[in-house]
Amino acid sequence: MSETLLILYGVICFMLVAALVAVETRDLLSSVLCLGAVGFGLAVVDLIVGAPDLALTQVVVEIFAVVLLIRTVVAREDTTREFIRDTPHVAAMGAMIMGILIGAYVCFQQLTPFGDPPMVMGASYMRAAEEAGATNLVTAVLLDFRAYDTLGEATVIFAAIMGCYALLRTRGRKEEHEGHDADS
Amino acid sequence: MAFLLPLSVIIPLGAAFLIPLAQLIRSKKGCPAGEVIALAATAALVVISLCGLATRRTVTTWIGGYEAKSELLGLTGTTLPHTSEGEADPARPRGVVIEQAVPGSAAAEAGLQEGDIITGWKLPSDKRFGPVWSMNELRRQNAALEPGSIMILQVERNGSTLEEAIKAGKSVAGIAMVGDGLTRLLLVIIGVVSFTAVLFSLSYMRTYTKLSLYYSPLMLMIAGMNGIVVSGDLFNIYVFLEVAAVSSYALVGFGVESEELEASFKYLVLSAVASAFILLGIGIVYSLRGTLNLAQIAEFTQFAKPNDAMWLALAFFVAGFGLKAAMVPFHAWLPDAHPSAPAPVSAMLSGLLIKASGVYVLARLVFNVMGVSTAVAYVLMTMGMLSMLVGVLLAVGQWDLKRLLAYHSISQMGYVVLALGVGVEVLAKQPASALGVPPVAALAIFAGLFHLLNHAMFKSLLFLCSGSVVHQTGTRNLKELGGLSQRMPLTCFFTRVASLSIAGVPPFNGFFSKLLIVIAVVWAGHWFLGGLTVLVSFLTLLSFIKVQRYVIQGELPAKFSRIKESPAPMLVAMGILAVMCIALGILLPLYGSGLLKPAADSLTQLAGYATSVFGG
Amino acid sequence: MLHAVLPFVLCLVLFIIGLYAISVKKNLIKVIVGVIIIHNSVNLFLVLIGYRVPATGSAIAPIITPQMGRDAMDVRELLSHSVDPVPQALVLTSIVIGLAVVALMVVMALRLHQKYGTFDLTEISKLKG
Repeated sequence: MSETLLILYGVICFMLVAALVAVETRDLLSSVLCLGAVGFGLAVVDLIVGAPDLALTQVVVEIFAVVLLIRTVVAREDTTREFIRDTPHVAAMGAMIMGILIGAYVCFQQLTPFGDPPMVMGASYMRAAEEAGATNLVTAVLLDFRAYDTLGEATVIFAAIMGCYALLRTRGRKEEHEGHDADS
Repeated sequence: MAFLLPLSVIIPLGAAFLIPLAQLIRSKKGCPAGEVIALAATAALVVISLCGLATRRTVTTWIGGYEAKSELLGLTGTTLPHTSEGEADPARPRGVVIEQAVPGSAAAEAGLQEGDIITGWKLPSDKRFGPVWSMNELRRQNAALEPGSIMILQVERNGSTLEEAIKAGKSVAGIAMVGDGLTRLLLVIIGVVSFTAVLFSLSYMRTYTKLSLYYSPLMLMIAGMNGIVVSGDLFNIYVFLEVAAVSSYALVGFGVESEELEASFKYLVLSAVASAFILLGIGIVYSLRGTLNLAQIAEFTQFAKPNDAMWLALAFFVAGFGLKAAMVPFHAWLPDAHPSAPAPVSAMLSGLLIKASGVYVLARLVFNVMGVSTAVAYVLMTMGMLSMLVGVLLAVGQWDLKRLLAYHSISQMGYVVLALGVGVEVLAKQPASALGVPPVAALAIFAGLFHLLNHAMFKSLLFLCSGSVVHQTGTRNLKELGGLSQRMPLTCFFTRVASLSIAGVPPFNGFFSKLLIVIAVVWAGHWFLGGLTVLVSFLTLLSFIKVQRYVIQGELPAKFSRIKESPAPMLVAMGILAVMCIALGILLPLYGSGLLKPAADSLTQLAGYATSVFGG
Repeated sequence: MLHAVLPFVLCLVLFIIGLYAISVKKNLIKVIVGVIIIHNSVNLFLVLIGYRVPATGSAIAPIITPQMGRDAMDVRELLSHSVDPVPQALVLTSIVIGLAVVALMVVMALRLHQKYGTFDLTEISKLKG
């Protein structure tokens, strides 16, 4: 077992613990901060598996998301109660989760093993990128071969901005008399 | 005709960007620029989709890449265990044992046979052979070669060592846009319904504020749906799915009252979970096949063995797209989200979005890409049956007009999924032979797609009618309404047409598609399901008799004594759809072979999809 | 063969934690937290799919560095060692899409808090469900 793999497992376990704390803690602010820890864990994983561009983007996006969420947490205490607290519910839920995990474990046995991707599309992109003279293959894929996806991504951001503006209007409908004036 | 595919995405996208700009530029009391742009764009979409019907063959356009012709390596194999504890073990032999060399592929032409062990590879210019660590290593190196160049393999066969020259595999593919029969059908549906929805909005949306923030997401939603439908790439489908979904979240909550925001939030959370399932599935497929192009994946599917991980991916896809299509175990969000939106948006969501981002993609994946099997067929049939039954049972008890319609959406989409499921079952049991596609499967799929087309028309019409009622009376509670035929005769006439259509009363379109579905289901041997289909149709009729009774007939409440008929644009929009409801049923022999038959054919050709995309 | 699947199973555990938060927790912020955890787990899964075990040392990013020169031979060398660039490009796209969704969710949460004065989902229930 190599050193890289050990570090990888360590970071993923850290993410799992942070996620659990984020879900279970009563203090909403700590919950959001633990969520930030999950995101930064993901950035570290990106670095370990050789994706520096991804790590940078992840850090920036995570900071943005956490700041947004901290702004949202106007009431700090989580006073709600879950309906699942009695033993039968917990047992049923645990059984379901174990079932899913075991099923997934069995299915994953036939997945391409970790660390040996077939890369059919990736390899042909690499050859084409070399002909085109690109240095960073990720950006070559993003901005050249799959630029149409990037257009879609920009469109999603645009849609979200429009949506935020639409939802932040104070009044959705005009006053009653205004509406009837418009009709006639 | 190939340029029509990009146009059908670019036009609504351009309109979406133009509308806020036009809003900024125009003077305060100028002409309604946003409305004009939106109407022009949707009209253009109708024209484009109808022009597209002129061609019958599959059209492929590659974006951001090379003109690609896929050519398979055509090899499956297992890696010899050459490592122990993750470290290379020199004592053990390296190599790949061939399990199958697909007839007609590059591997078979090179003379590779089952049981051969590939131990090394090189280019013709190299001196020594490099090691082959795994099957995936071979696939990687092969994919990186120039198309048409040669790769030399060192092969051990029966104890002797041979050298075999093999042609390089596939070349680079950008993102493919594929237009086949099914795509054209969906483009026509999206064009017509979104045109009427925009026309209806001209008057209906006057009561809302900040309309440029309405038309722009509406155009983005259309662009997203068109993008899904024309896309031939798995991840690209996901991206446009998100475009359509994100704009629909905003549209559902457009009224910003507490109920609308709540419905929108619920919809967003469940839809985000669905997207996550879909992305997980995409990850598994990419990991196994190494490519995202649907046609290339379909080529692999033709000869690949059943694989547990692929089943998991399919399960994720069924969960994800089932959530998007609101099939019954996953239907919780729909009865909240669809009624809360403004009426034209409800019409778009029920009439188009659950089809384009749910049923269409699922059908495409199951039939053309992942391969049909009886297990998938039974899952689809169960989901369809449950949706049909549960949807209609919940609808019968509703007193909220739009909520009732939303439950009927679940029920009617159940019909479509049931019919497609029967088609999958028949195709999985008796695959297409020299005699052609089994007629039961062809009929079931034809009927399913016909019902999909009809549902888009009559459900949009119903939602528009409900919008017209709400617009004039301000309520959608059945108990408060009544006697509207005296004051709003045209709206009531359109409501009757749509109700009779959805209930499956003869000469209207719903009757013919339901009849075909029942025939196909019974022909396939499912008597019970056939009976259930008729029963659900009867319950639907009951539920719409209730609508007639409480909205159209009865006493006109005193407070509505001064209401008027809706303004002209709304009536024209409803009229177009009402004409469709009548014409689509009666004129089936005229357009069936040009619109529906090619769509059904593109599903029944199964993995032949790959050949038609790469041009034979 | 444990190491061939364990990282993927851990991703799925993260996914289930997120799903648990969405289905069980009754606080708006917790639901948002759950959705973000799910996004992160899917991104993690995609990144791990593209990983290549290098011959020695740490993973090799798919970047042609000046030291390698621009020789075709070097690119072949890179190909046989570097990680897959395609999943990375996919994750970049999906991270940004996730951010867009989170922004919308936050706006909705703020508006709901304005309307109802609470994050408690049991009190935010005008709809019958």
